[in-house]
Amino acid sequence: MTDLADLFTPIVMGILLGGLYALIALGLSLVFGVMKLINVAHGDLVLFGSYFGYAAMTLLGVDPILSLVMSIPILFAIGFFIQKYLMRRAFGISMEAPLLIAFGISLILQNVQQITWSPMARGLTTPYALESFSIGPFRFPLSYLLDFIAALVVTLSLREFLRRTYLGKAINAASQDKRTALLMGINTGRVYAFAFAIAMATAAISGVFLGLTFPFTPTSGISFLILAFGVVIIGGLGSMLGTFIGGMILGLAQTLGGYFASATAQMLILYVIVLVVLAVKPQGLFGRKERA
Amino acid sequence: MPQETLLKVSMIDVFHSSLQVLWNVSLTIKAGEIVALIGTNSSGKSTLLDTISNLIHPIKGSIDFEGKSITTLEPYETVDLGISQVPEGRGIFPDMTVLDNLIIGSYNRKARPKREQNLQMVYDLFPRLGERRSQLGNTLSGGEQQMLAIGRGLMSAPKLMLLDEMSLGLSPLVVNYLYEALREIKERGITIFFVEQNVRRSLAEAETAYILERGRVVLSGPVAELREEEEVRKAYFGV
Amino acid sequence: MTNLRLRGGWIPLSIVVLILAVLPVAGVSGRWLLYIFLFFVYLSIANMWNLLCGYSGLVCLCLPAFVGLGGYTLVIGTWIGLPTPLGIIAGALVAAGFALLISVPVFRLKGIYFAIGTLVVPEVLKYVFFLWRPVGGALQGGGAGYVLKTADGFSTMDIYWLGLFVGFASVFLLRFILSSKLGSGLAAIRDNERTAAICGIDVFRLKLYSFVIAALVTGMAGTIFYLRQAYIEPASSFSITWTMIAIVGVITGGLRTQAGPILGTMIVVLLLFLLSRYAGYSLIIQGIILLGVMLAAPQGIMGFIGKTRIYRSVVQLASERRY
Repeated sequence: MTDLADLFTPIVMGILLGGLYALIALGLSLVFGVMKLINVAHGDLVLFGSYFGYAAMTLLGVDPILSLVMSIPILFAIGFFIQKYLMRRAFGISMEAPLLIAFGISLILQNVQQITWSPMARGLTTPYALESFSIGPFRFPLSYLLDFIAALVVTLSLREFLRRTYLGKAINAASQDKRTALLMGINTGRVYAFAFAIAMATAAISGVFLGLTFPFTPTSGISFLILAFGVVIIGGLGSMLGTFIGGMILGLAQTLGGYFASATAQMLILYVIVLVVLAVKPQGLFGRKERA
Repeated sequence: MPQETLLKVSMIDVFHSSLQVLWNVSLTIKAGEIVALIGTNSSGKSTLLDTISNLIHPIKGSIDFEGKSITTLEPYETVDLGISQVPEGRGIFPDMTVLDNLIIGSYNRKARPKREQNLQMVYDLFPRLGERRSQLGNTLSGGEQQMLAIGRGLMSAPKLMLLDEMSLGLSPLVVNYLYEALREIKERGITIFFVEQNVRRSLAEAETAYILERGRVVLSGPVAELREEEEVRKAYFGV
Repeated sequence: MTNLRLRGGWIPLSIVVLILAVLPVAGVSGRWLLYIFLFFVYLSIANMWNLLCGYSGLVCLCLPAFVGLGGYTLVIGTWIGLPTPLGIIAGALVAAGFALLISVPVFRLKGIYFAIGTLVVPEVLKYVFFLWRPVGGALQGGGAGYVLKTADGFSTMDIYWLGLFVGFASVFLLRFILSSKLGSGLAAIRDNERTAAICGIDVFRLKLYSFVIAALVTGMAGTIFYLRQAYIEPASSFSITWTMIAIVGVITGGLRTQAGPILGTMIVVLLLFLLSRYAGYSLIIQGIILLGVMLAAPQGIMGFIGKTRIYRSVVQLASERRY
């Protein structure tokens, strides 16, 4: 029975951490579901959000979460631009073109951030980020709880947006059947741009909460991309709720893996899980089946 | 009875992935008519509809709607103007509910304010859709999906409805029901241009018909005249 | 299109090789030699990426895995008494063996899944080598890095020549593959995999050959690079920067052309050379170039030139001038 009590901490941590992972993955999931595009620059764009929050905190003295008021519209606009002027052209060039363009963006972002902020690890060390809260005799970092709450809010908001608004339904329609969506009078080019923009807005949010939880460096982008990709394929592309649950699963896998194996092997275990899921069931547990 | 020309296609040449599909095709559709496009599988019927909907653009020639050129518009602009296509294979969004499918039909700006009244009209026309409004698209039968596709087309508040192979794979009873609905739609003032492989059915339902053979219009005119045509009787009725 | 017949061209090529080989003896500055060396090492990796992505339809992002494995094999080899020449060969073989090992699961992935799957592989290896200390605490200065214990009598000049070797070898190897049965099989697969399979082409086997060959050469390039650098650690050896340099080089020069990677890698190395004190900036410029090329001329420089009339007439002249 003592074993169970010992497990309580990693389980709760895993679930809460899963919130952060879900939050990071939501944007990727949306774009992948709509356009079948994996934005390999996603991790770096999330970091852009983190660095923005850092800049707000250190240069302007503004709380990073408050700074979202600025970063969300900025990243929204950047996302709109990237899809409309870069990715859209890329789709017409070749299969690999969007990947290569995202690569280029990643290359630029990583190095700009490296030059601006140096390779030193940074963190959004606000006073509350270092607080903890307790459940019974156990203490947990407050940032993990904030991550979970943020993830829940964003997931549900996105879900309702996709279900209830015309634009949301249009995004859904365009992802199921582009040709018919065009026949419905949907401007698919603009819809895709909005979807990408929304994904970037969530990246901004996840960047800030990421920064509150973990230290980050300009090269952390890839780890988060792989993580987000893992969440998406476990939870199912395009499904917001599925992505949320996928995040939980991956978070739990990491904390339980760290508990049973070793703390240093956590990331390794995560990556191996991603590879295994990739090999076994690329469509995920909740997602739509890929139509031929 | 003088009727306005609603759609005028003038001498279009259309290519589909570097193969020419339509040669010098012209046709005229007057407001309030039901017009049929008859032809076999590879005659280019779907390509013609797609060109009118602007999914493809003609290399040569022009298309005018209500007197204005629409040849180079984007597909969604064509819908805005009042041309709605019910595609071949129905094109139901499988993972959306019947209601959502219908709602997305009213996506274009002009149709949105009329959404509720159009929805009611669709339910009146196809009560089955009302019953199944919360079901997912891919759980419907073939006939119901076709009803949904037509209903969805109506939701865009069209002036001209294009229907591509509506009766494909459906039983005669269901097809009768659908054509009855089409007649009702025409009564409401919507012009109909439908593609149909079944010649008898086409000539029975339409007022004017165009016969397309290997990308060219070979015959056209009022249906009554066409029925008398030697060639039509020989080719399609084996008489 | 870029099938410049070498028959007339062996002499100029031999002259170039001779000049390059003689440079270190002629007392050319070490800095120049370093960049020429880098050029040839990067060129071999770029050629392999071109083989995989351009000619075999495999958008492979796991090249850093082969570089790192090659390098680590060499470096660890020096600690366990493996003579360096064997270490180089072993490095190439380990990389190739690894490619063989992961080929079965990895080739089951298609499209974007393949790309991401191959992206994860070097990251996994990075963590493995962070944690694993194959030769115990023989670390210098902490961290997970290893110093090369001995260069076994390989001078900088020798290493430079090795670099030349692997670079030229990659060019000729690619050329050879493309004109062989493997090459036409790959072209068929690239065109339409299903049709190729129906025609009796063993799709898996041909892709495997491509993959393993690429791993072999990349692994060797890795060993030669780390022989020169004399120090290896996980973060940079398995870093995605290797992939990026290859991609920028190949795309800029021209994907699916033979001269493209040469030209593109020259541009990349030139940038590195000019901005050597500002390494980050050169990478940013590389990223911008990549975007620019993709949007303006996705066929790359050689692809673009191949289409213009000027080039065609030059080639005509050159081929008419034979004998």
